[in-house]
Amino acid sequence: MSEPPPAPPAPAAAPTGVIHDIGYRHYQGRRLGRGHALAALTGHSLRGVFGLGRPARAKIMPFLLAGIMMLPAAVSIAMMAILKQRGIAYPAYAGIMQAVLAVFLAAQSPGLVAPDLRFRVLPLYLSRPNSTADYVIAKLAAMAAAILLLLAVPLTTMFVGELLVDLPGPPQTSHYLAALATSVLYALLLGSIGVAIASFTPRRGLGVAAVIAVYLLSSAISGVLVGVLESVGRHTAALWAWLINPFFLVDAVQNWLFDTPSASGDGYPPGIGGPVALLAALVLIILAVTALLFRYRKAAAS
Amino acid sequence: MTILATEGLTKRFPRVTALDRLTVSAEPGVTGLVGANGAGKSTLIKLLLGLTPPTEGRATVLGLDPAAQALDIRRAVGYMPEHECLPPDVSATEFVVHMARMSGLPRAAARERAADTLRHVGLYEERYRPIGGYSTGMRQRVKLAQALVHDPKLVFLDEPTNGLDPQGRDEMLALIRRVGTEFGISVIVTSHLLGELERVCDHVIVIDGGRLLRSSSIGEFTQRTQSVTVEVEEGQDALAGRLAELGQQVTAHGRLLTVAVSSPATYDAVRDAVCDLDLRLVRLEQGRHRIEDVFREEVSSV
Repeated sequence: MSEPPPAPPAPAAAPTGVIHDIGYRHYQGRRLGRGHALAALTGHSLRGVFGLGRPARAKIMPFLLAGIMMLPAAVSIAMMAILKQRGIAYPAYAGIMQAVLAVFLAAQSPGLVAPDLRFRVLPLYLSRPNSTADYVIAKLAAMAAAILLLLAVPLTTMFVGELLVDLPGPPQTSHYLAALATSVLYALLLGSIGVAIASFTPRRGLGVAAVIAVYLLSSAISGVLVGVLESVGRHTAALWAWLINPFFLVDAVQNWLFDTPSASGDGYPPGIGGPVALLAALVLIILAVTALLFRYRKAAAS
Repeated sequence: MTILATEGLTKRFPRVTALDRLTVSAEPGVTGLVGANGAGKSTLIKLLLGLTPPTEGRATVLGLDPAAQALDIRRAVGYMPEHECLPPDVSATEFVVHMARMSGLPRAAARERAADTLRHVGLYEERYRPIGGYSTGMRQRVKLAQALVHDPKLVFLDEPTNGLDPQGRDEMLALIRRVGTEFGISVIVTSHLLGELERVCDHVIVIDGGRLLRSSSIGEFTQRTQSVTVEVEEGQDALAGRLAELGQQVTAHGRLLTVAVSSPATYDAVRDAVCDLDLRLVRLEQGRHRIEDVFREEVSSV
């Protein structure tokens, strides 16, 4: 990597001199467009989420959490192999593992955006042929890809396990595919919310606390409301209250689109519940992306 | 060929006018942009990079308009900010390669250019260590390397000698001179220390309070400061009066008289005046030829 620049081939007829230092050379090669830079930043950021190319301690948290995400899949495969009985259902995976996903999101999304703000690297990106939108898209894509990996890898492992174990009856291919498709929505929603919240503070610790607080608050409010509403006999309202938790919001979309069992165990509002949940998820994503764009437009001008 | 030109460029913030109808132009080579802190140097660079729109007026950089062709400008321009802008947990190599890719260089070319550029700015084995452990001098070199790595036609260096010790300052100035001459890259370098710019610049633009004070070549600057300092034991008032009678421009600085040198006859006039008045001459000293003097005079006369 540090090899000296290759000297131009000396003419064979007159091998008279050796060039030791050819000095500064101009770059004559190709210059690629914005798409290339966007892909490079996405790749760089995704590596950063998992601590690759960083010191060892940056790898501990993401790989620990990714390992925990694999546990239910491993247990499930063992159950299928030994007890000949299904463990965890594909569509319920994200809902059951929501705390781990939330911790991953909280721990890793500030690392994606906070250092660029704190160490003021952002002006270097913005003084290059990239727009603020490119930066935002790359960061979102990296976080969404990380969440997608966290979900798709255990789901796929479990599905491969199911095919290998060869349980009686057909494999649950439709449920597997439904869970994969829903993972994309999980990735987009969680990634955009996490990165948007984290981008508002250059301090990493504060970002971690803010993201986890938003998750804890939404799940607590949702849980309390469900309990209260059930106790006063307002069952339909209680079903709506589940949707305050972003994980159950996406699960409700899955429940509506693919007719899978609900992860809340309680069902979701019948009728317009599914479409409303999908709409709400999309509105949240749009709001988060708008907030990010607004935030970085401001950062660019300062 | 003009590398940059502004016409009536104005930038007003809610409370302060950073640039006030600035009309300047710069030719290829090393151009110094001089002004006190808050004179509008950094704002001018941001406007020229298209990072923030002007309130009024127009500008062109390499013949391109920052308002409409910011991305094309940023592809051909490098920028070294005044502030710290390096993440501590990656190595200089990894960082500069990443920044090269963000400027649109393919991966292999980015690696080669990063190694070349880091060598040119004088970073060798250190470049594989995380930037967090670098000295200020090494950080400034990394900042310069990231501005040069994509082989721009023009670089903006914002206060590149900030925080350096005298030796580091000399090395950085020599490096800037090399960038302008050997590398053939035009340089716009800002500083509030005027003395150091006259060592590296071909042309100096002085701005103050967002307004142009003057723009001229280094030769003109030093020509204008041709002066001779005269010190006599007593009777400097009489000498000043006599010299003024002889049509010389005299200014008194306490015990010292500064006489502007318009022609070699000035020296004769000083000699004759001292002899005629029978004064005891202590010192006759060539003016220091510093841009500071011009700057001070022009600022005080505004």
